[in-house]
Amino acid sequence: ILTAFIIHLQHFQSSLQSVLLALVLGAVVLLVLRRSKAAVLKTEDGWWGAGSPPAGAEDESIRPFRVETSREEIEDLQRRIDQTRPVPSLEDSQFNYGFNSTYLQKVAAYWRNEFNWSKQVDKLNQYPHFKTKIEGIDVHYVHVKPKNLPEGRTAVPLIMVHGWPGSFYEFYGILPLLTEPANADDVAFEVICPSIPGYGFSEAPRKKGFNSVCAARVFLKLMRRLGFGRFYAQGGDWGWQITTNMAQLDPTAVKGLHINFAPVENVGPLVILSILLGRRFPGLFGFTELDVKRLYPRVEKMLVEPLKETGYFHIQATKPDTAGRGLNDSPVGLAAYILEKFSTWTDHEFRNLEDGGLERKFSLEDLLTNVMIYWTTGSITSSMRFYKENFAKGFYPPHARIPVTVPTGVAAFPNELMHTPKLWAKQKNHKLKTYTTMARGGHFAAMEEPGLMAQDIQKFIKVVEGKK
Amino acid sequence: MFSLISPFFLLRIGLTYFLVWRRKAKKSIPLGDGWWGHGQQTLRDDNKIYPFKVETSEDEINDLHRRIDQMRYTEPLEDCGFQYGFNSNYLQKVVSYWRNQFDWKKQVAKLNEYPHFKTNIEGLDVHFVHVRAPHRPGQKVLPLMLVHGWPGSFFEFYKILPLLTDTKDDLAFEVICPSIPGYGFSEAPHKQGFCSLDAARIFLKLMERLGFNKFYLQGGDWGSLITTNMAQMKPQCVSGLHLNMLAVTKRGVGMLLSLIIGPYLPFLVGFTREDVRRLFPYFEKNVYDLLMESGYMHIQGTKPDTAGCGLNDSPVGLAAYILEKFSTWTDRKNRDLEDGDLEKKYSLDDLLTNVMIYWTTRSIIPSMRFYKENFKTNPQNRVDARTGIFVPMGHAAFPNELMHCPLPWARWRFKDIRSYSYMPRGGHFAAFEEPRLLAEDFVKFVRKVEGKKR
Repeated sequence: ILTAFIIHLQHFQSSLQSVLLALVLGAVVLLVLRRSKAAVLKTEDGWWGAGSPPAGAEDESIRPFRVETSREEIEDLQRRIDQTRPVPSLEDSQFNYGFNSTYLQKVAAYWRNEFNWSKQVDKLNQYPHFKTKIEGIDVHYVHVKPKNLPEGRTAVPLIMVHGWPGSFYEFYGILPLLTEPANADDVAFEVICPSIPGYGFSEAPRKKGFNSVCAARVFLKLMRRLGFGRFYAQGGDWGWQITTNMAQLDPTAVKGLHINFAPVENVGPLVILSILLGRRFPGLFGFTELDVKRLYPRVEKMLVEPLKETGYFHIQATKPDTAGRGLNDSPVGLAAYILEKFSTWTDHEFRNLEDGGLERKFSLEDLLTNVMIYWTTGSITSSMRFYKENFAKGFYPPHARIPVTVPTGVAAFPNELMHTPKLWAKQKNHKLKTYTTMARGGHFAAMEEPGLMAQDIQKFIKVVEGKK
Repeated sequence: MFSLISPFFLLRIGLTYFLVWRRKAKKSIPLGDGWWGHGQQTLRDDNKIYPFKVETSEDEINDLHRRIDQMRYTEPLEDCGFQYGFNSNYLQKVVSYWRNQFDWKKQVAKLNEYPHFKTNIEGLDVHFVHVRAPHRPGQKVLPLMLVHGWPGSFFEFYKILPLLTDTKDDLAFEVICPSIPGYGFSEAPHKQGFCSLDAARIFLKLMERLGFNKFYLQGGDWGSLITTNMAQMKPQCVSGLHLNMLAVTKRGVGMLLSLIIGPYLPFLVGFTREDVRRLFPYFEKNVYDLLMESGYMHIQGTKPDTAGCGLNDSPVGLAAYILEKFSTWTDRKNRDLEDGDLEKKYSLDDLLTNVMIYWTTRSIIPSMRFYKENFKTNPQNRVDARTGIFVPMGHAAFPNELMHCPLPWARWRFKDIRSYSYMPRGGHFAAFEEPRLLAEDFVKFVRKVEGKKR
């Protein structure tokens, strides 16, 4: 609503400019005064298992876990793929109506005849997996330690959180770059990649109300249980929201926060001003060429484009159980739903391609492995519920109004879904240490451009550690 | 700031009235033309009307059963009712009935109780049911077309059909119930751009082909828009237009004023007490509630091929998606109930028959594309949104309909409203849920129109 109002205001822009410029000074003064207040995010404990919590202490053991499959599982999948009832796409519609039917049949054929799930399961198991019970549900994670650490060096702990429709698997390309960096003076990380409760191998909450703050609290408990008193956090999509909440809940535990997605939740006067005047006076707001390209023309970039791409968001935030119901029976339907995002969110232009440009940046093997994680665990519905839980209290929950006070690094990928100029990122992240305009890449940055992402994480860490 | 705004405020009022004045000049919208078949248009146009029978087979039923058996259950959250969508626990009961007791062969026979036909228009096979009134001496028989919406079908009208065709008094109707192209037994368009204006034109051609040059129209949901477009394209052919759903077209200042003043001084803005009861609290009922319930519209209006893909393989998924609407759009309070109160107003047989029409014809994706095609151009700027409707109109306002449109707002576009009724009960699927009430109101409307003619 606010955005639409701002866009209407553009009609009056020329006549009100002088008034607005005068307001800038006032706004700047206000902001300087506001920033001195740093509130802390509060939360209560929760319990998400079935029924009531049992008496006695919770089982805090950490159990090793192996991903497994069976002949039945694979045959069932193949049988369902064979039962697909395809509906031809409209002539010349490419990916504009959603996943193109012709290309979907190719993907399904590959999945049915060439994709080797057993081999992929082995690939998943190359890193050690574990499960541990927190707040009544089993939380799954991958724990990767550097193999060859030189004498006297300790690995820096890092938690990396995925989003929707991704999984811990998105990080498999970047893990070696972070745990075994090529450069001698790069930092070596010990990485924890958990699965958000309700996603993949993490148990789904049975009770209503499990939102990002709850996930953040669960992950903080996880890190504490693993013995990490202070650590770095990295995330995009929901991972951004959860790691941000972690930094807000316990700023002393989170040494630094690196994010590749930073949408503005609280649209303040400075942001509004920059939207109104940024095209004419980019320098005034520190807007780069990419900023101007991504934000203007306003109506198209800030209203029409988001509307075109947020249908899934709207239905998942209101009727997740209905939305996920069919996808849990139809693997091809699930693949279409998930892979459409891997196409469009990597580059909007891919909507005009018959094959959605899907294999330009990803391999079908990797894409389908991610889909299989949703399929074999039957977690599509619970993954969608996360949307509803996070918007139950509207668009401005308490954490949206609280700034982030830990050192933050933002990697702004040019094809990310929502673009955030440095100025906007600073409104929320008061200790913005690095802001990098990345050379290429979209929403699934870690999976699409692991090299670039690893480079930026290194750059960020060095700035934070260097300062110490 | 206020002093800055008011000149623009007055300018807006002036502009609005100017546009209204201009609107009076336009009495109809252009017909246009189209061709929706595969590839290039063939030269010969087949105008014949072919009888059609709904059929099924052992294979079709076995395949359905196999897929139902393969359903992979997901546990619902505790105490969530229908708030997160169709409740999985209740879904299992519905699915069990569908698997073990629902008799599709018997339902097919029921569908075939009325004669079905198909005819090719603009490259597509258009399906319709044609029900003639039995010959009764002294009875006037008027032609009528009933148009369904989403996720409904021609089958929604099966309960109201006898009430309109087989009456014992002096007035009866000969009814045509078509399927919108892309829905059920009507062929789906193969080209992009098929919107309500095209459906309207095709249905006008259908009536012409059947030999009707003046007829009544009735519709709700998409049917409401399509029949309205028909009345805008050929007002001379439409005796009267009866709608049970009116989309509120925002009219800026006038609407804003009535929203601000309405709750306190309703009569000043032409609101009745019932209007106030149904409209307010405005934000909660019309903005918040609409946001809660329009997720399907958003995804279908942008990515229909993705949204429908899984539903075309999973009958259980399809049933959940469709039946959730039959629960929530009948009464929003049903969201708090574990069974969505689905069987209070409908029988599982009827509900599943409607679902089977989508399932056996694989038409869920094309049915969803209709949303995208209609939202491609801003619906408020399209030619039909900027043109009034001058044929006699009647509105049956059901209390649990998705949105309420008071008479003063309806008058902005409909220039000849003959009847406006507050119905005592019922929701969105009026013909299906309260056939008697709808039939009574429709006949009352027709009598008013026919009475004025004599």
